[in-house]
Amino acid sequence: MTAAEILKPPTARAGTVRPIPAGIRLTWLHLRTRRVPAAVLALAVCGALLHAALYWHWAFNSGPYAQQIPMIIEAGAAAMIAVTAHSPFGETERATGRWLPYLRLLAAIGLTGLAILALQLGAVGENLNDGIAVLARNVIGFTGLGLLCSLVTGGLLAWTLPLGYMTFCQYALLEDWTAPWTWPVRPPADRGAWICACAVFAAGLLLFTIRGPRARLSDDS
Amino acid sequence: MSVMSMRLPRSARALRLEFKRNAVPYVLPLLAAVFFFDTLRTADGFAPIWTLRASAIGDHMLFEFSAFAGGLAAWAGSREGRRKTVDLVAPTPRAAWARRSTALAGTLCWMLLAFLAGVAVLYIQTAVQATWGGPPLWPVFVGAFGVIVVTVIGFTCGVLFPGRFTAPLVAIGVLVVYQTGLRQALGVATSSGTYALLSPGNGPPVVDTGVYYHVAPDLSIVQVMFMGGIAVALFGVLGLAPGLRGLAPARAALARSGGWLLRTVAVVLVACGVAASWTAFALAGTAKPDAVGGWEIPALHSAASDQTVPVTRDCTSSSGFQVCVHPAFRFYLHDLAAAFEPVAAEIAGLPGTPAGAREVASVSGGQDVQSGTSVSPPVFEFTAEHVGAMFGQFNGIPDPAGWASGFQQGLLDAFLTGRPPHAGPVPILLGPAQQAVEDALLTAVRSQPLGPSVTSAGVSAAAHRFAALSASARHAWLVAHLTALRAGAITLAQIP
Repeated sequence: MTAAEILKPPTARAGTVRPIPAGIRLTWLHLRTRRVPAAVLALAVCGALLHAALYWHWAFNSGPYAQQIPMIIEAGAAAMIAVTAHSPFGETERATGRWLPYLRLLAAIGLTGLAILALQLGAVGENLNDGIAVLARNVIGFTGLGLLCSLVTGGLLAWTLPLGYMTFCQYALLEDWTAPWTWPVRPPADRGAWICACAVFAAGLLLFTIRGPRARLSDDS
Repeated sequence: MSVMSMRLPRSARALRLEFKRNAVPYVLPLLAAVFFFDTLRTADGFAPIWTLRASAIGDHMLFEFSAFAGGLAAWAGSREGRRKTVDLVAPTPRAAWARRSTALAGTLCWMLLAFLAGVAVLYIQTAVQATWGGPPLWPVFVGAFGVIVVTVIGFTCGVLFPGRFTAPLVAIGVLVVYQTGLRQALGVATSSGTYALLSPGNGPPVVDTGVYYHVAPDLSIVQVMFMGGIAVALFGVLGLAPGLRGLAPARAALARSGGWLLRTVAVVLVACGVAASWTAFALAGTAKPDAVGGWEIPALHSAASDQTVPVTRDCTSSSGFQVCVHPAFRFYLHDLAAAFEPVAAEIAGLPGTPAGAREVASVSGGQDVQSGTSVSPPVFEFTAEHVGAMFGQFNGIPDPAGWASGFQQGLLDAFLTGRPPHAGPVPILLGPAQQAVEDALLTAVRSQPLGPSVTSAGVSAAAHRFAALSASARHAWLVAHLTALRAGAITLAQIP
């Protein structure tokens, strides 16, 4: 008997194992390490929370106060996406293949779309002040901030910047700020607000895709 | 081993380590920026009245601190679970409760330090500008307990549900609860639920709150008791956390000697906390509006709170027209005198002309006080909240000309109708002829009368005619017709 015979893997019976394409398996493993399935659940919770807030009238029906609770939930959804930036493998993972940036890009875009969908479903049948367009714009902008923050703080603390900016925007909302960079407080048709939100998202997505989140700071805490 | 670590007891050393490794310092610059924009700038827009400025603690500061306190405490609380080291640290000699208490204390100390630093900045800014009174402490207590309870809630959620999503979920959950409470509090009425009164967030109070009457601490006491009770109960839950997470057998086996004592203390804490919160909830249910615009809880109310604050008004007199305000509003005195002076000169010598103007309390018997002319001696009395048809005049001077015009209109409203100050929601309403004369007198003193969009064409035309007369002709006509004008017996056509 030789060592090669001992190390030879047992043969599987025909028809019991279906080969999974490597790309799909890689993508699934990437998403699992980022806790994306749990993030999808958390986004669903955000959608349900928005629905409850609108259904039971936790916020005012009109005026600047009406936008406050939806804005909190939108920032929360973006924070969930930002938190999925964290990788348990850190820098080690970066040396293992060339697909990582594409996987990061895919996960971030996919989750942003899912967040908008989840919140939109939460608002179905209810009166969402300023409509779905503002909801989508806020999620996009806040997500961009979260991805940018992950480059500095790491993924696990990347929720701080979207929530911090949102608390500032609550003030800007009541003070009726008109600067385009305060996009969450601007009306749906404000072109400058859309440009700012999309620019932040694009910058965040680009840098996050290329550089990835910081792998140190939040791990040390 | 350093000299410092040799001297410190073990618990203090652990706390020092928690201070060093805590995530709060990383977020402090962000928190400071939000505090500057939200709390400080909002408070700066208020008149420098202590009670008014202090309301920013519950309305703004607590909101921004809640987001970070809840999230970062959940982050600290979930550390062992997130890193999957629960089993690793379970055999250590220190009880899990003590270990977690140290981590909680580290986060709590950082958050309270930041909170108190923010309060200090807010109060120093107010102290520099205020002309009367001192810093109220109850809003600080309520705010501090708000930070404590949010931190403990976040930490407990982190311990019980460790994970990367716990921190942001807790943060948004806390913010949604805060905003829901604020929405309830802004629409509060006698028939509102108890939740509205327990919300630490509320709208800004009337501008002279705490100036003429003491602010009863009843509601603040109940809020502190309610939040403190929740914090104590959750701290007790932390002691039971190993059992709640299914680790009781392991803990009992490893720390059998002191386990039952810790669990008993934890259960007692939970019971005490629930009892305190329930009591506070029940007490809030008995609240009723008091005579000065606040809330009174009979079981906690002190009669001393209802006493008026003794005050000697600050006065200034120019051209014989004396203007007096509460010392808290001394910074408005000269602007007020300058606003009243030309109108007072225009109506001087006419029957019933007020000899001066005096600022009085804006709430009486639970109702707003509207401005008017007191009878003996005739003095125009106005409040910081209501002057004629204007309101919130003492909240600031965004437009000096419009601000002065508001006081001039208020004085003429009272003079041309002869109405005394009265409690109720409706200010003095002028008839067409009275409005025309008022507009003419305002035009004569180069002030801004009501626009044509507000008054009718007939009123505007009569006002133009009357303003075109000489001062002596206007004066003579008013001497002859003032009584009929006040009685509403003059028509627009009769105005020359």
